[in-house]
Amino acid sequence: MTRKPKIRDLLDESACTHSPTKKNACNAPTPGATTGGCAFEGSQISLFPYADAAHLVHGPMTCVGASWETRLTHTSWAGRDLTQMGFTTGITTNDVVFGGEEKLRSSIDYIVERYAPEAVFVYSTCVTAMIGDDIDMVCKQAAEAHGIPMVPVHAPGFVGSKNLGSRIAGEAVLTHLVGTQEPETSSPFDINLIGEYNVTGDMWQYTPLLEELGIRVLSTLSGDGRVAHIRSAHRAKLNVIVCAKSLVSLTRKMQERYGTPFISVSFYGKRDTSASILAIAEALGDAELVARTKQLITREETRLAQQLAPYREIFEGKKAVLNTGGNKSWSIASALQDLGFEVVATSVKKATEADKEKAREYLGEAGILMTNPGQEQAKVIDQTGADLLLAGGRSLFTAIKKKIAFADVNQEKKKSYGGYAGLLNLAEDLKNALQNPVFKNVARRAPWEK
Amino acid sequence: MGEVMRKPDKPLQVNPFRLSQPMGAALAFLGIDRCMPLMHGGMGCTSFTKVFLTRHFCEPIAIQTTAVTDVTAVLDGGDGSIVEAVQNITKKVAPSLIGLHSTGLTETKGDDLRGVASQVDYPLVYVHSTDYEGGLESGWGKTTKALIEQLVEPTTATRTDKAVLLPHVSLTPIEVEKLKEFVVLFGFEVHALPDLSTSLDGHLGEKQSALSSGGTTVEVISELADAGLVLSVGDSMQPSAAALLKKNPSMSHLHLNHVQGLSATDELASALLEASGLEQPPPSVVRWRKRLQDAMLDSHFSLGQTRILLVGEPDFLAGAGKVLSEAGARITLALSTVDSPQLNNIPADRVRVGDLEDAEALQEDYDLIVGNCHTEALAHRFHKGLVLRGYPSWEVVGNQLQNDLLYEGGAYFLCEVANAAEHMRAAKHKF
Ligand code: SF4
Repeated sequence: MTRKPKIRDLLDESACTHSPTKKNACNAPTPGATTGGCAFEGSQISLFPYADAAHLVHGPMTCVGASWETRLTHTSWAGRDLTQMGFTTGITTNDVVFGGEEKLRSSIDYIVERYAPEAVFVYSTCVTAMIGDDIDMVCKQAAEAHGIPMVPVHAPGFVGSKNLGSRIAGEAVLTHLVGTQEPETSSPFDINLIGEYNVTGDMWQYTPLLEELGIRVLSTLSGDGRVAHIRSAHRAKLNVIVCAKSLVSLTRKMQERYGTPFISVSFYGKRDTSASILAIAEALGDAELVARTKQLITREETRLAQQLAPYREIFEGKKAVLNTGGNKSWSIASALQDLGFEVVATSVKKATEADKEKAREYLGEAGILMTNPGQEQAKVIDQTGADLLLAGGRSLFTAIKKKIAFADVNQEKKKSYGGYAGLLNLAEDLKNALQNPVFKNVARRAPWEK
Repeated sequence: MGEVMRKPDKPLQVNPFRLSQPMGAALAFLGIDRCMPLMHGGMGCTSFTKVFLTRHFCEPIAIQTTAVTDVTAVLDGGDGSIVEAVQNITKKVAPSLIGLHSTGLTETKGDDLRGVASQVDYPLVYVHSTDYEGGLESGWGKTTKALIEQLVEPTTATRTDKAVLLPHVSLTPIEVEKLKEFVVLFGFEVHALPDLSTSLDGHLGEKQSALSSGGTTVEVISELADAGLVLSVGDSMQPSAAALLKKNPSMSHLHLNHVQGLSATDELASALLEASGLEQPPPSVVRWRKRLQDAMLDSHFSLGQTRILLVGEPDFLAGAGKVLSEAGARITLALSTVDSPQLNNIPADRVRVGDLEDAEALQEDYDLIVGNCHTEALAHRFHKGLVLRGYPSWEVVGNQLQNDLLYEGGAYFLCEVANAAEHMRAAKHKF
């Protein structure tokens, strides 16, 4: 029997709140009117942070040639960081005609010999899926030959979106890794972090706090992750999904199979960070742990309040307009409010119903929810007298025209804004944006212009 | 010339720097004014390309996808998704041209672009750009050729004061501009195809429209065949020049493998003198030639003791290799993305088609790297000097202002490399 994931089943995720209504929109991109990434990219985002595993992309050049070394997913793995390396079979015409399995086999051998990874993930892509290479078979044989896990990932771009790709990646991990090894030790406070990729070290902003509380991160999918740890993930007492709805089917199946309960959290801004840490403690169900956690939160919030005080003075009475997508439309809004900004408008262009509700809750009745921010934001800035625009690079000109400060929130991240400490990074960046005179200077007219 | 190795000796690529043909095609279409590149394939290829180029140029990048799905991948000949994509694009914006180009997926399916193009009632140029062959450079070259074949009106009339410039893909926006200005100095009206100098540089973020703005217009392209002079730069542009000459056999053609360094610029200048009938070049050209001579002398102490690794597209390697070796640097290794006849013109001890793992294995052979931002990790690991050039260059600002061509750019380039070499030596002595 084939072990390929059943795409239909994955699309039909019962634990995904928006799936009954939005199923088709998730699945069918519109030709000529789509900008998102493909399923392969989704699986890459989900799994590449395993730095002790090699990630071999079985396909032609576009898939990984344009995308390796693009994300700052940090790792504490002492060996060579394989996340920041690109491996591809680099399919050529010859392979398209005669099949690429032989090449894949020898590529795996080559990698195992030179780089001694803990596992090899093998990603099929559009062309190799189309020509019908049997990567399951090659992986199975290679696993036997080399004695380490080989994980086939069936997420060629044409099956769908990034989101579906993450689900397929989760499925591959569940099928081939989870439950294949026992942990060395166990504790009543073992958790898995699911959907946290440690981009710019986000995870390290809050994991020390969890450790201090005696909560052990048994495994992650996949920020700063280790293959050996995820193999023993079935022994965790709780799955914690961090801001990634796409992996909810994985955690649901782990609940069915191993009885692991799950919760969904976010570590963006002070309120969310505190609420999330407390939620983890409560889910672990230990009264003493909960009490300790409350103390720790009080301590951290007090310290943060002190550190933020000088910034709050600067941000006092400042108004911000936020134009970004998805859950960022409310999560950044909440972080901005924690810093003392008044968030007068946010974009709900691509937001789900749940995201819109949250945005409304955070912004209050007077807050403007923009459905077409590209056109609305300039007007909103005039109406509200906003001081700061947070948006993607395309909106820079709006800020220049309106002579207000601008911060790019869609840029590839370089600094972490996660947890309590990340909020300080955000505050520093926004202070610099507000104090930088460049937007006013650039807007100067040329002497020959009227 | 040293030894040339054209075929990689291993089954896979590790730390690849070859870039795909569809990406080169998209980039060429972006050098056309108000064009919408439409990539025919899975949506990921387009998304990766968009992010890649946005980060490289720090400019918004217009590009769309036909978003082929499992249904279209298996069942349909591609017509449906292309026609639908064109409808959806033109609902929102009015491009002057749609640049339809294929990917590995749709080439494996065998989609007939030409057939579809004839069904679409909109200005469209198509090009087959599979990504399991060639690379960035060939995708760009093939697209330029397709633009010429499908848009340029044949004629027999020629204007002796009009020139067409066909630049290879590795020339930056400012380099194209400098090259155009150089030709203008000799009295020509000049048009570049494609022209990134006006489309991907200096837009101050004002370009909110979803189309490329700047670049050569479709009208100008259709009338290119009356130019007296065709100037192709880089081996990858030879087929485009040949296609243009077919439209008007009385055009005269000057091909240059590159325009970097003293001798190559001399060659261009003397050809332009002859074509224009001028006796002497303008004073600024004379002045910059002297500055380059001076820079060659000033930098030769340092460059003469520096062994260099060059990484990039073949046409880039030929030019950068030449200007550096003219000042005494030794190119011990030139690493090319793909095979090309141009590999024979690279003044290096060893030329090979490969990946950055190969460069790592041979790290004892060089002191300084001239290459893209993926070589930065390599430079750090082995304490090599580094000068960033080529695609991608994400970690620095100002790529589009980087000019290495002709007398002027050559002078700046030699100084920059020599300074980087000294910097590297100074840092090494601390160990
Ligand atoms: S759409 Fe297909 S070919 Fe393109 S990047 Fe995604 S997997 Fe690769």
